[in-house]
Amino acid sequence: MNRHVLVLGAVVSSAALVLAGCGGTASSGGGAGDPYRVLVTGGLSAQGVLATNSKTSVISAQASADEINKTGGIAGRRIEVTVVDDGGDPTTAVTKLREAIAKGKPDLYLNSGPSVIASATLPILQQNKILSFNIGPTNESADPGKFPLNFDLSPSPTDYAKGFIAHAKEKGYQKIGILYGSTSYGASFVREMHQALTAAGLQVVGEQQFDAKALDMTPQLQNLRGSAPDAIAMTAYGAPVGYVLKSLAKIGWTVPVLGDTAVSATSLVSTPPPDGVLGTDQVANLMMEVFDSTVYDPADTSVNTAVAAMKAKAEGGVIPSTLINAYNYDALALVAAAAADVGKADDPGAIAKAIEKPEVLAKAKTAILHDYHYSATSHSPNATADAFVFIKPSPLDSGQFRP
Amino acid sequence: MTLIFGGLALGAVYAFVAIGYNIVFISSKTFNFAQAQLIMIGSFVAYTGLVTLHLPAPIVALLALAVVFVVAAIEERVAIRPLKDPHAVLVTTLGASVLLDGAAQLIWGTQPLPVPFFGGDGVLTILGGRAYPVELALVVVAVLLVLLLTWASRRFVLGLALLGMSEDREAAMLRGVNVRRLVFGSFACAGALAGVLGLFVGPETYAVATLGTALALKGFVVLAIGGFGSIPGTLVGGLIVGLVEALASRYFGGEFATIAVFAVFITILMARPAGLFVRTRERAV
Repeated sequence: MNRHVLVLGAVVSSAALVLAGCGGTASSGGGAGDPYRVLVTGGLSAQGVLATNSKTSVISAQASADEINKTGGIAGRRIEVTVVDDGGDPTTAVTKLREAIAKGKPDLYLNSGPSVIASATLPILQQNKILSFNIGPTNESADPGKFPLNFDLSPSPTDYAKGFIAHAKEKGYQKIGILYGSTSYGASFVREMHQALTAAGLQVVGEQQFDAKALDMTPQLQNLRGSAPDAIAMTAYGAPVGYVLKSLAKIGWTVPVLGDTAVSATSLVSTPPPDGVLGTDQVANLMMEVFDSTVYDPADTSVNTAVAAMKAKAEGGVIPSTLINAYNYDALALVAAAAADVGKADDPGAIAKAIEKPEVLAKAKTAILHDYHYSATSHSPNATADAFVFIKPSPLDSGQFRP
Repeated sequence: MTLIFGGLALGAVYAFVAIGYNIVFISSKTFNFAQAQLIMIGSFVAYTGLVTLHLPAPIVALLALAVVFVVAAIEERVAIRPLKDPHAVLVTTLGASVLLDGAAQLIWGTQPLPVPFFGGDGVLTILGGRAYPVELALVVVAVLLVLLLTWASRRFVLGLALLGMSEDREAAMLRGVNVRRLVFGSFACAGALAGVLGLFVGPETYAVATLGTALALKGFVVLAIGGFGSIPGTLVGGLIVGLVEALASRYFGGEFATIAVFAVFITILMARPAGLFVRTRERAV
């Protein structure tokens, strides 16, 4: 009988141990002496610009970790960054995230990919109560009611529109035409821009869409010229930027063109001939919206520190794309400020609540966007107009324009 | 007229892709999905030759011809020749197009690269319209190329052999035509032609890794409108597609450009299912 009891006890104990091993997620630890574990995913092996942007994003997280570790880490915990390549594919991102959580739940997750990755990973993060930041906002990612532990790092199209309005008013433009590509961002750009411009008392006199695979923009520009705008607001990336500039020159139209951050990320306009069109007549009327941190300023210590730290982490010391993709640098600074306010780093809910406080945001040593305006009702940065500047196309060095 | 010049130039670019499709189709009854990518490679070689190596245009033309000839020859040997099922060619040539896209990104990057045009880049005013010299050159080259290929196909034994193969492959073999060698030759020659045309397409579109994808579908539409196997049909189909796209963008908006092209495409196919320049024939079985 005793032997049966012992066997039964052993079986139950073994089963309990097995179930404990299989069930749920591993604990994050999170004690004062443990590292603060940050998981960064990005499409490092993806094709083209996605990989380049992801590399900049990952480097920015690593550089920020180095800088914060120099001053004692997050609430006394040293930051440990783990980088995972999701190939820019949402299915892979979900698999890799689940694998990482099974190995040991990270304290913080930084998504360096497009919004499809955010859409796929946010429910998992929510389920596992993991604090997260992402650079590819979705329609719901900034809603604290849906995702209380997630914060968007990229300004929304509404925020970008604020910069356009300030510039248009400064230049005295009253009538604006909008040119946009047939992408989901293009649709969002024209919608938000139209609303914001109209609300600001400016007149939208024409909207023209171009196919993302179009090779000539002459018809769209002739259409816009018919409505006689004072300036054109444009979102485009890559070859379409070149087609617009060539078509403008062909029809001899010298209207001012205000490009968004995608235009500024197109190397064609920041590279002199023969590899680009910088300094030619084609860009004479082009102005580009960028973050103020993306323009080199020798007096801006916080940005210059970030750039130096990123160059130290970059392969060959070269930052692959503009600082616009370096938001992750700010994510760790925001968490560090919030953890200092809370007094510990192992309670993601408390950290998230602290990030909503204006006094914590004011203390955060962010560099890419100097001011974030999160609140209990919005986890979008809600950038103000002064976060953006309009510059003429100029050479790019270490992720910054040098007009 | 500015709009017309732009539409015709764009149509000429589409026609170039369709001509390549047709040369391969006539010889082998297969469809090379990577033909547009071969033109893309030609434009990148043109950029490298003219901008990086500072070579004169005729030398660059020869360089582009040789490079893309070799690329197309390799594609034939790797993606076409080993296959026993001709339907599988659709998959392997599609794979080749993806490979070429990736290779172009690795070698030349993802950003658009300007290709200078040897005829100048100043805007010309002609018949009340404005156009770049390369736009006029594209239309002229397309017309000359179609005339040349049509004439050559009827004048030379090689052309007649190709036409014979397209009509009846087995009969051509019985008449002593080396079908395998001709298929290889026409595949590689379509590549060589694409390489040279890159010198004209690049200045219009930039050398950019997405160019092949942008051209492939429209090239196919042009081929279907003109008729599979018809070289003159590619010119007419190309000009129709280019003009419809430009006019629809101008008068209905850019979002209707592709819809208008496909509306015209479907209308033509409903009236003439085999395309404008190919007649369907009844056969007794």
